[in-house]
Order: sequence, then C-alpha cells, then structure tokens
Amino acid sequence: MTDLAPLRALLDHHVVGHDEVKTALLLALVTREHIYVEGPPGTAKTRLAEVAAKGSELDFFFYQLHRDTRLAELVGDIVLERRRVKTEAADSDGAGEAERIHQRIEPGGLLTAEIAVLDDISRAPGEALNVLLRILNERRFGAEPIPLMAAIATGNPMDDEYYNEPLDPANLDRFALQLRVTGLIQSGAEEARTLIDRFAAGSVVEQPDPEAVTDRATLDALNQRMYEVEVGPVVRAALLDILRTLVLEFECNETNSLLTDRTFLVKAIKILRGAALLAGRTAVELADLAALSWMTTFRVPAEAHEALPRIIGRVNRQVRAV
Amino acid sequence: MTLPAPDRHTTELSAAFVELRTALGRVLVGQDDAATGLTLALLAQQHAYLEGPPGCGKSELAAALATLSGARTHTLVFHRDIRETDLLGDVLLSRRRHRGHERLRRELIPGPLLQAEVALLEDLPRSPGEALGPLLRILAERHALGQALPLESAVATGPLEQVEAPIDPLEPGQLDRFAVQLRLTGLLTGELFDEAAVLLAREAARVPPRSADPTAADSAGVPSAATAAPRSAAVIGTATRNAAQRAAAALRIEPRTLDAYHRLLDRLRQRSADQSASGDRLMSDRSFSSAALRLVRAHAFLRGAPAAAPRDLGAIRYMVAHRLPDEVQEDFDHILEELLGDPPNVTMAEAGAQMPGAQNQGDDDSDPGAAVSQASDSWIDDQADLPAPPALFGQPPPPAQVDPLLRALVGRIERGRIDPDTDPGGQPRGYRPLRDLDELIDADVIEALLFTEGRLPGAPRTFERKRRSAGGAVAVLRDISASMAGRLTVWSSQVVLGILRVAARRRMRVGYVEFHHRALPHEVGGRLLHRSYSRLAEQAGQAKAVGQTNYEAPLRTALEGLRGGSGRNRHVVLLTDGLPIIGDTSVRRERQLARRLGVALHTVFLGNGDCPPVLDDISAETGGLRFCGRPLTGGGLRLEER
Repeated sequence: MTDLAPLRALLDHHVVGHDEVKTALLLALVTREHIYVEGPPGTAKTRLAEVAAKGSELDFFFYQLHRDTRLAELVGDIVLERRRVKTEAADSDGAGEAERIHQRIEPGGLLTAEIAVLDDISRAPGEALNVLLRILNERRFGAEPIPLMAAIATGNPMDDEYYNEPLDPANLDRFALQLRVTGLIQSGAEEARTLIDRFAAGSVVEQPDPEAVTDRATLDALNQRMYEVEVGPVVRAALLDILRTLVLEFECNETNSLLTDRTFLVKAIKILRGAALLAGRTAVELADLAALSWMTTFRVPAEAHEALPRIIGRVNRQVRAV
Repeated sequence: MTLPAPDRHTTELSAAFVELRTALGRVLVGQDDAATGLTLALLAQQHAYLEGPPGCGKSELAAALATLSGARTHTLVFHRDIRETDLLGDVLLSRRRHRGHERLRRELIPGPLLQAEVALLEDLPRSPGEALGPLLRILAERHALGQALPLESAVATGPLEQVEAPIDPLEPGQLDRFAVQLRLTGLLTGELFDEAAVLLAREAARVPPRSADPTAADSAGVPSAATAAPRSAAVIGTATRNAAQRAAAALRIEPRTLDAYHRLLDRLRQRSADQSASGDRLMSDRSFSSAALRLVRAHAFLRGAPAAAPRDLGAIRYMVAHRLPDEVQEDFDHILEELLGDPPNVTMAEAGAQMPGAQNQGDDDSDPGAAVSQASDSWIDDQADLPAPPALFGQPPPPAQVDPLLRALVGRIERGRIDPDTDPGGQPRGYRPLRDLDELIDADVIEALLFTEGRLPGAPRTFERKRRSAGGAVAVLRDISASMAGRLTVWSSQVVLGILRVAARRRMRVGYVEFHHRALPHEVGGRLLHRSYSRLAEQAGQAKAVGQTNYEAPLRTALEGLRGGSGRNRHVVLLTDGLPIIGDTSVRRERQLARRLGVALHTVFLGNGDCPPVLDDISAETGGLRFCGRPLTGGGLRLEER
C-alpha cells in the first residue's frame, strides 16, 4: 500500500461508506486537483474534508457560500494603506497635505489554507465566483503562489429550482474531479446499517479531532513521485480512443459538454498517474482509466457518462487485442 | 523622428519577431494561427481579442506573449466587482486649507495597468459596464489621467459566444477596439485528434514542477509552456521590440497592394451582404483603414520584405472573427487567393456587375443601430453544429422571411418585461448614494472611509446593483400534421429557430410542443419549460409531418406548463397551416384559461387558404399577435400581420 494508507484508515474510522468520495479525496490531495461533490446535505462531505485536513496537519478553511458572497469574504480583509505625501509646491491653493490611499487585500481564508471546503457553491452568484475559481485554478493570487492543495466544493443538484442562475459551466470545469453522492440511508446502501449501529452504540465522535497520521511533507513527496509514474503510449492511445468515442459517437461538443483540452488532455494525465500511485504502481495501467469517470460526471451528457465504463471496457479490449 | 533603419538592421529586427512567433507557436499545440495573429498584433501595436472554449489555452498564450516579448506587463482579471481603482490606480486625496476652509480633492495616481506595455485583460466580457466603458476608451486613446500611455498591445480573453452563458457577450462596437480577433479551437471538440495525441505525449513527459514550492507551478493546467518554452525567458528586448514596431509602421505599401485591398474589401462586402442572416458584423472605418494597413505592414515586415505586397493582405484574416459572417470568414483564404490570382480587368468587369448589390449593402450599413440590435439576437447563425433544415426537393426551398414576426414578438416580450430589478447579487449598473448603513459593504471604499471619519460632506457612493429579469417564458406549439409536409416543415422550423433565438437572448424559458392529433411536448428533466435552447433547436430541425390537426391538446399542454410559473411575460406561439379537426375546435376552455393566467396566445397561419377564424379569436381575446405567411414570387415566404 501507499503512504496514504493511514489517512485512508482514518477517513474510514470517522466516516462510514462513501468509498468513492474517499478515494477521490486522496486522489485530489496527491494530484493537487479540486473536487466538486454534488449531493444532498448531510452526506459527510464537510466532515471528510475536515478529517483529511486534520489527519495530515493541513490548514483548513471552510466557507459557506451564499447568494451575496463577495470576494473579500473568501480571500481575506480589504486593507487601506494610507500614506502622507507632499503636495506639489506649485499649487496655488496654499499650504496643504495629501494622503495616498492604496487598497489591497490582506491574505486570509482561501489564500492561506491548504485544504478548503466551499460549501454550497451553487448558491453563490455564478458571476461572483469567477475570481475565486480562477484563484483555485491558478493557485496564485496576483503574483503570489498560495499553499492550497485541494479545494472541495459542494453543491446542490443542478436544478433550476435551487438557485437563480445556473453555475457557469466554465466554472465547473475548474474542478477536475466531479462526483455525485447520495445519502447512505436514502440510497439504501448496506453501510446505512453500520452507520445507525455506530450512532446507537454511541461510538461516534460528533466533533472529530483526529491525530495527525501524515503531514504536508509526505503529501509533497507523493506529488513529486506522481510525476515519475510512467504514462506509456498504450495508455495514451487508449485515452485518446475513449475521448474520440465521446466526440464522434456520443457527439459531445461545445454546446452539450465541457470536453476541454485542459481537463482531458492535461489534467487527465495527472489523474491517471495519481490513480496508479495510489494503487502502489509506478506506471499507469489500462485499469486506471476507470478514474476518468470521476472527470465526466458533469462534463458530458448523462448518457455518455453512464456509458463510460462500457466505452473504457471496449477500448481496453481493442488495445489489448492489438 | 526615427528614419527607416538600414537594411541589415531591419533584417535583424524582423528575425527577432520571427523568433517570437516561433516561440509563441510552441506554447500551445495546434494553435499556430493564434500565435501568428498575436505576433502581428504586437508588431503593429494593435490590441487583440482572444476567444475560445474554456481550457483551450487562451490565458496561457496571452501570458506567453507578455513574457516572451520582454514587455512590462500587467494582468487584470475582470470580474463583476472590478472597480475604477483597479483599472486606473490609487487614490490621492489632498486636503488643503485655504482661507479658513478646507478643500478636499480626489485624484488618481496611475496604476500598473497604465504603465504596462502589454496589458493582459482576462475574461474581459465579465466586466461591469462601469469599468468597461472607461477601459475601452483608454485602450483606444492610449491616454489616461492626462498622460500618454506606454501601451503597445492589450490582449483580452473571453469565452466563446454561447447561448447558455450567463454573461452578455461584448457588442461588435466594443469588440471593434481589438483590431486582431482570434478564435481558438479546442483540440477535442475541434476533432483535432492528432494534435491531441501530441499534447498527451507532452504531458506524459512532464517533469515535476521546477520550483521548490510544488503548488506554484503548473498553474493554468493548460498545455503549459513548462516543457517547451521556459516561461521566464524573453526572446526579444524592449529596444528591439520598439525599433521593429517603428520600422514596421514605416514600411512602404506597394500601389498594387492597395488596389488589391480595395478589391478585397469589395468582395468581402459583397459576400457579407449575401449572408443576410448575419447582421451582427461590423466593418468599421477605424479597423479597415488604420488598423488593417498596420497589420498588412507588420505581415510584410515579418516576412522580411522591403514593402507590403498583395500577399501581405493575408494579415486581414486575423481581423475577421467578429467583423465578417462566419461563412465568409471560413472562405477568407479562398477569397484572397482567388483575388490575387485574378487578372485585374476581369475583376473590374465583375465589380461593375456587383454594383447594385454593393449599394444595397451600403444602405443597410447606414443604420448602425439596426446592426447592433440584430447582433444581440443572433446566435443560432454562429452555431455551426445546428442542423440544416431538411432538404426536401433535392435542394432546400427559398427561406422564409420570419423577421417581421420576430420583431413583433420581441416588441411584445419587451413590453411585458420589467426593467432590471435591483438585486444585491446583480451587476453594478451605476452609482447611487448610500441609503442604509448595511450597504457600506458595497460602497466605494475610500468614500466609505472618509464618511466614517466624518470627512465626507454627503453619503458615500455605493453600487446600484441590478439583475436583469431572466423571467418570462414562451411556448412554441408547432403543427406537424400531414398537411405541413414539404416546404411548410422547413419554414416552420425557421420560425421555431427564430423564436428560440429571441428567447435565448433574453434567457426566457422555452417550451416546445409539436402536435398533430396529439400533443408531443419536448420536455427536459420532466419540465415543459427550460433553457436547453440548443437541444430544442436540434429537435425543431427534425420534425416530420404526420397525422391530423388538433388545437386543444397542445394549448392545454402549454397552458398547464405555464401555469406553475408567475410573472406576466408569458407567451404561447401557435404555428399551424389548417383547421383543427380533432378535439374541441373552438378551444373555449383554453382561451379562458389563457386569459385567466394572463398568457398571450400568438397565432401564425402558414397555410394557403383562408385563416381559420378561430385563430383570430384566440389572439384577439388574449392580446396575442396574428400573423400569416404570404408566398413570395420565387418560392419564398414572408410572414405578415393578418
């Protein structure tokens, strides 16, 4: 197993079920990508992020977005710097003084966090999110790099009734990993029983304060090792075949999909490497392509997303046959 | 003034820009055109607008131009809340005592944007009007706060014009400030799989970020320059850059080039006039005189030529993304090639023959307002992937003139529409004095400060935020009974597409119901009304004519769908060619329901015979429009009021 096994165990200890979200969360930490998790309230989204942050001694920032969210609330305080300056001598108005006022932002919140949870991102006005998401994307604010490793955004189902304006699809593209979760009880999952049993036994810590089981240095080292994972020509050809199928057979285009080069040609390579690394390998294998379905959730039409495992299987068989 | 430089020197200068172009071409895979366009823009000291789907590398390319050119750069990311001080600079507040009273004065100190040689304006269309107006003026005048700016080129990026996008696209007049207009294609969505494979290989070979801080690099995640062209290295110095710009601007243009240019403009005008649907294009004097010739010179300079030859007119292709209809753009290279190959006398004769057409176009252009208002309604023409109307007789029938109907419909929609609502989450659309201390959060920071210190005589200014009502809904009911076969199917598709376009522009929800003896609603997510315009547009192109006519069922379906919503801006457009045969032919209950809900029922009769009186009744009772199709000689159709 990998260096992240203790962290995974910690997540399992504090949160029942949600296997996919846990794996995706670890993948996000290794690859330094952001996750968008869509699902109803009370599905342990925030708790998972919090446990992961504490378990790896990372600075944690939580923000509940609302329909009036302003940038300053997320990135720190607006500071006015005032400096006295001499007035120009040639002024006819006589003696005086002048003050130069400079407005800047004192970094805080997202700019100083290593893990951020942005709750209910779909409630914030799409337009206001633009700068926030750009920060997430570039991991820089102005010229300054920020220490953020991964942001976990949560949202309500993409439905007209929940908010005024839909989340701008370009904004959603900033989250490489995208998952849809359902409550254990609502979906009738097996773990629902475990969950209830745990509460009945009183063995649930309401405010978990887990020990650190790993640290930033370990995560940084993993991120460096990710780049050593080999992505051979066979896997690349398979990836391209899958993308070609989405474009040509499922007619994914700019109108109905977000099949962006940034995500599927650049970030996909990272995600595949991360998936191989988490599986304890040094080269990406065809099996790792399954991780692609965490990228397509909200980027391609539902029928294409649902068909993805089938597409991957078919392409794998073809590639193996060659 | 600098005299034209000696030849050897010129060659060196030209080589420096060729190197810049090459380095820029390495930044992204498969976007060579954009690299050339940006290089020409910098050389000609023109502004450039770069648009493309998300994640195709716009920002990366723009940033690379700034770095590689060695220019002093400032990047500004536009967003809803951007303010004057972000654009211009710090506030200088002076206070002077003068004969017993105190005088406060507010000035601006030029900020980094005003000192930049290359300005990067990211996501420009997201800017609120307050910031955009002054900015575009500054870009045009290259002068601000009483001083000339060192600005050489501003490179703005923006999203592709998209129907469902939550931001309003820039208008052609605003885009005209950017002489160079480039459209990037996504490798995947553009089906450039060979290039995609190259990019995948490049990413697979990517080494860990160089810097000690692993989070710092690998920024935009876009095909980054990290492996190919180191971001930090400028390939050209400021002195060289400026000398080249001066030399390029002084380049001679051969007389035959100017001749060819005039002929090119004639052709472009002619071809654009043929594409009557794309009224949103603008061939302005500003761009096609000064800017175009500068780019032509730059093109020649980049070739190392001593004077601009006709082939340098190729530079014009980097200007046309928002100035010519899409069809003409795609054909640009061909048009130019043909023109350069033509002996001049043939062209003269042709030009004579084309005179009437050219004249007409001139008339159309004389009303810029009309062009702009049409612009805001045209998106479907931009969607290359929308289905063409089915060809029924081997070739498509002459088009229906649906504009009169759309104009009237827009009039009704606008009438029922309320002005933008004040909304704390909306766009800033002006300033107003603070009314409530709660609003201090959105007030001008400096004024708020002075206010709290008791040093401001009045209340601080705060943004007046408004959100345009995205309300309203329109349901289109389209008769697809057997009698609608043939050209009527094509024409009614055109009407439906036109209505979708109107609705999309106003972000109205739409419903689409096809009907014969039954109503066939096209729901999305179980709802009749939604905003999946493109999906409906696709659907509207596929209708097949079968069955008999029933008005009751579709009207009932539409009204039920509209019932849940509120607001007064609700419309139903009934599109038919014949008498109802099935169901309640007088649709009494539906007329009553529509009146009660305040829904306007507009009727469009496309048939040959007389319009059924029931359609007149439906419209008259609900305040709807009454239209019918009048056949034109030559086989077309014109929609007129009944």
